[in-house]
Amino acid sequence: MKRITIAFLICSVLAVLLVAGCAKQPTEDIKAAQASVDAVVTEGAQKYAPEDAKMITEAMNAAMEEIKVQDGKTMKDYGKAKQMLAKVKTDAEALKSNLPMKKEQAKNTALAAQETAKAAVQEAKTLLSKAPKGKGSKADIEALKADVKGLEDSLAEVQTAMDAEDYGAAMEKAGSIKEKAGEVSAQVTQAMEKVGAKVK
Amino acid sequence: MNLSRIQNILLAVALLCLAGCTEPPIPPEVKQAEEQDIALWRSEAPVYLPEEYGQYKKALIKAKADFIRERSRLILFRNYTHVQSEFRHLLQTGNSIIGQLEGKKREFSRNIEEKLSFLGNQIETLKGLSKTMNEGRLARRDLMQAEVILVEAKKRFEKGDFIGADDKTPSLAEHLNAAEKTLYPIVTRYSDKKQIGQWQQWFDDTIAESRTRNSPVIIINKSERTLTLYKRGNAVKSYKIGLGRNGSKDKIHAGDYATPEGRYRIIKKLPQSGYHKALLINYPNEDDRRQFEFAKKKGLIPRTVSIGGLIEIHGGGKDSMTYGCIGMDNQNIDELYGLTSVGTPVTIIGAVDSMNRFSSTVQGK
Repeated sequence: MKRITIAFLICSVLAVLLVAGCAKQPTEDIKAAQASVDAVVTEGAQKYAPEDAKMITEAMNAAMEEIKVQDGKTMKDYGKAKQMLAKVKTDAEALKSNLPMKKEQAKNTALAAQETAKAAVQEAKTLLSKAPKGKGSKADIEALKADVKGLEDSLAEVQTAMDAEDYGAAMEKAGSIKEKAGEVSAQVTQAMEKVGAKVK
Repeated sequence: MNLSRIQNILLAVALLCLAGCTEPPIPPEVKQAEEQDIALWRSEAPVYLPEEYGQYKKALIKAKADFIRERSRLILFRNYTHVQSEFRHLLQTGNSIIGQLEGKKREFSRNIEEKLSFLGNQIETLKGLSKTMNEGRLARRDLMQAEVILVEAKKRFEKGDFIGADDKTPSLAEHLNAAEKTLYPIVTRYSDKKQIGQWQQWFDDTIAESRTRNSPVIIINKSERTLTLYKRGNAVKSYKIGLGRNGSKDKIHAGDYATPEGRYRIIKKLPQSGYHKALLINYPNEDDRRQFEFAKKKGLIPRTVSIGGLIEIHGGGKDSMTYGCIGMDNQNIDELYGLTSVGTPVTIIGAVDSMNRFSSTVQGK
């Protein structure tokens, strides 16, 4: 009877070892998590949420390391790896669903900056058109007109950045244009005062 | 040996194994290294110290692989001593990179600051040159675009984004080059020894004529924007003047807004002019005609243009916005009108010596 019990125990242990040792890599979970990470990167996560994107990539790497650990074991247990992969997937999906909002925010801010820059250039242009080309101001006005042309060229670059969805760059350029347009307007006013014209 | 004895031995071995099989703690250095890697990424180590960070990353991957291998062993045989020392070494390397990063960033920011300051100065120089030459169109347009980019670069620099600031400099330099391409072909004439030699010759001959004939002569110096009246070889009056919109260039044809260079004479005095008073000179002279024909033959100017004429010294201001004439303030033309007569020599030169307002800009390049 005792022999039977021992034999049964040994068989059970072997069976457990066999079953555990034969646990397979959670390939479907890996694929799903990786797909979510790739999707969020494609959506521009590194541009709009670089910190979150980095964390998700690191979490994916950690999950893969856990899988490697289990791959090397006799008694494989991918439970923890599966949990990690599931979290990566959830986080990546959450970030992906937030991205359009972040993008939209960036776009709206850039659009507002673009409009402000346009208005500032227009103001300089209007001032210039009112400036009398009298004695002592003609050359200055000519030069300032060229400055405005330069600003208009730069405005076109803002649009190019907007079209490329590079809202950060668009915003930066728009801000600089506004600053320079303000300086041009001030110079026009000065030139007008030089010839005694009324600044309206 | 009976069965129960074997059973007892097996049980004792199993108990011993279990007692010794508690998992050894994971070295804290593993987590610390992971955190350090993130910190290095945040500090832009991959950008500022790519080689050092690359080696660090390689070592981290190896240490992690060793750690994974160790974790894969049976608890009984698991030993993190080697892994721990590997990670400790890695942490030291990481700390050294962090230390180097500060210095590297400081050095980089200094370089960028100098670069931006240099580019800013270059913009100002070219703007000044453009203003002096009255080339307020093409060059100014490019210079304004360069200024916009400079503001962007400076803002990035202020935010500590030195790499981003540096990224802006190539496009800024592109606009500066474009502005230089517009300005320098005009300016280089003013540092050309042969050209200056010719102008000096005209100047000397004109002054000599003033001495020999005991008559007043006019010298117009384009780079200085002055009109000087000489009597018996001595300067007696000097006035500030303006030129054509492209006055720094030599006039070749009608509509080029350039002011001619050469030796002329007053051929008519106009007491009533659209520009207060005027002194008409005999442009084009023989040299001008030869130059015009040559340019036309070589296809340097449109086939349909004429050589032009009616170049005057007149009133109306010294704005340098004429079609090629020499402009003066009304009170000055009033005075000059009385001091000259038909036949008075008028010599228009670019500069009288090689160290003039324009050449200094080119020489500084």
